[in-house]
Amino acid sequence: MAAPMELSCWGGDWGLPSLHPESLTVMAYAKFSGAPLTVNTINNSWRAPKGDVPVLISEDIVISQPAKILNFLRKQKYNADYELSAKQGADTLAYIALLEEKLLPALLHTFWVEAENYCSVTKPWFASRIAFPLSLYLPGRMSREALNRILLTRGGPPLYSLTEVEAQIYRDAKECLNLLSKRLGTSQFFFGDTPTTLDAFVFGFLAPIYKVCFPRVQLQEHLKQLPNLCRFCDDILTCYFRLTVLGFAYFNEIKTQAIYDYLRAVLQRTCMLHMGRYVTVPTGTRDEVPLECNRSGPAVPGTIIRYSFM
Amino acid sequence: MSLVAEAFVTQLAATEPWPENAALYQQLKEEQILLSDNASSLAVQAFLQMCNLPVRVVCRANAEYMSPSGKVPFIHVGNQVVSELGPIVQFVKAKGHSLSDGLDEVQKAEMKAYMELVNNMLLTAEITHPRYGSPYPWPLNRILSYQKQWEVRRKMKAIGWAGKTLEQVLEDVDQCCQALSQRLGTQPYFFNKQPTELDALVFGHLFTILTTQLTTDELSEKVKNYSNLTAFCRRIEQQYFEGHDKDSSTTVAARSAKRSLLR
Repeated sequence: MAAPMELSCWGGDWGLPSLHPESLTVMAYAKFSGAPLTVNTINNSWRAPKGDVPVLISEDIVISQPAKILNFLRKQKYNADYELSAKQGADTLAYIALLEEKLLPALLHTFWVEAENYCSVTKPWFASRIAFPLSLYLPGRMSREALNRILLTRGGPPLYSLTEVEAQIYRDAKECLNLLSKRLGTSQFFFGDTPTTLDAFVFGFLAPIYKVCFPRVQLQEHLKQLPNLCRFCDDILTCYFRLTVLGFAYFNEIKTQAIYDYLRAVLQRTCMLHMGRYVTVPTGTRDEVPLECNRSGPAVPGTIIRYSFM
Repeated sequence: MSLVAEAFVTQLAATEPWPENAALYQQLKEEQILLSDNASSLAVQAFLQMCNLPVRVVCRANAEYMSPSGKVPFIHVGNQVVSELGPIVQFVKAKGHSLSDGLDEVQKAEMKAYMELVNNMLLTAEITHPRYGSPYPWPLNRILSYQKQWEVRRKMKAIGWAGKTLEQVLEDVDQCCQALSQRLGTQPYFFNKQPTELDALVFGHLFTILTTQLTTDELSEKVKNYSNLTAFCRRIEQQYFEGHDKDSSTTVAARSAKRSLLR
């Protein structure tokens, strides 16, 4: 059995396990391949993220980029791609390159550069999850990095102003979404009936666009006109990231259904009784499961459950 | 360009047939041209050859500055100047020549995806091998080359390649070549029997990697591992470049006749 693996990444909201596309990709791949990951979301009590989130820690090994994390998981025999032919593997690489070139600039722009979106949604959300005083600095830095990346990779002449660059990247993103929709067609996942690396990447990029409620949403509106992509995201969210009525807790393995039901019942009772305190709940396994309720009452958003399973 | 401006230019382009004196501008061969620019230029030439559109290649030291987008190669057709492979393909399409009409939607999606892969991996890998001489006198040649390096380094940092070692870059190139090789299989071209933009692009990059002399041979060794890719390059070279009328000092065909793919 492999050593226990821990993933630190940004947390989620609006029905998603994470808002950060790369974190979502890694989480989705872990679910698809059955890798037992402990997911630790970054919040105020963690030490400051160094900017290369998500990070996988396994014993002494620290790995930081999604591609490398996925390679590591594959070497540990958690491989979601073993049924793919060589040509399909090649197609995977090509489509991932397409996503990064065409869709990612527009995604970064929607989150970090578009002034209304950034000031009303992104910055407060990230700032609330970073410890003071870093919360004053880090969102600004992430925004500047995003703008830099967009301008350096897409902003050469003859596009001289930011508005022209914006128009071009949104056009490219919409074209990319159309291409993905055509490629997906009516099948459940991109390569047949089982999800693979490509599905993880596409999900990671599309789900934030689809779910997060921004004031300026041209990309989301375009995505909503492609029903097969919306259905794709929803399917993965309901099958692999089971969301309860309590909020946005999620579980690593589907086979922990029994523990899940037990915990849910206990959580409902304890949230109402123990507002704002730590509660430990004994489970059927050897581990104690600490529960932290941030706010009181049932059906609260932002309830975080942290635990680990062997 | 806004949508209206693009539509206007397309309209203009569609009205005139392809002239005889179209010219393709690139930088000087021996001293100046970067690996990635050479690859792009070769890709455009291959594409135009595949469409049977005659073009002559002109080498100028200040080609970068002449180009409307700052990038080479660019073509000068009639009274219009268009740079980079993407816009050139669209321009040629407006004139009524297109290589990818026979593809269905899914294949077109795949083609675009593979083109991005090639651009992503091979282009940036080529940039990490610096080779920027200059025909300008000192100190201008120093300044320009530092400027170019600094610009490239900024771009690498923005897309996260700054931390990559040479081995990682070579590994990425290997992965890309493997993907291309698997996609090509035993077919003559990437999409059945007809060459498309993707074939032109891949040819441009692979031929440049295989035939340009660098300080190390690692890049070309990686490509040589895949025999169907080298066969593909040779086939395109024979079909589209050796029958070309030679304007001896400036065409690729003359140059390729002096080099061999097997070295």
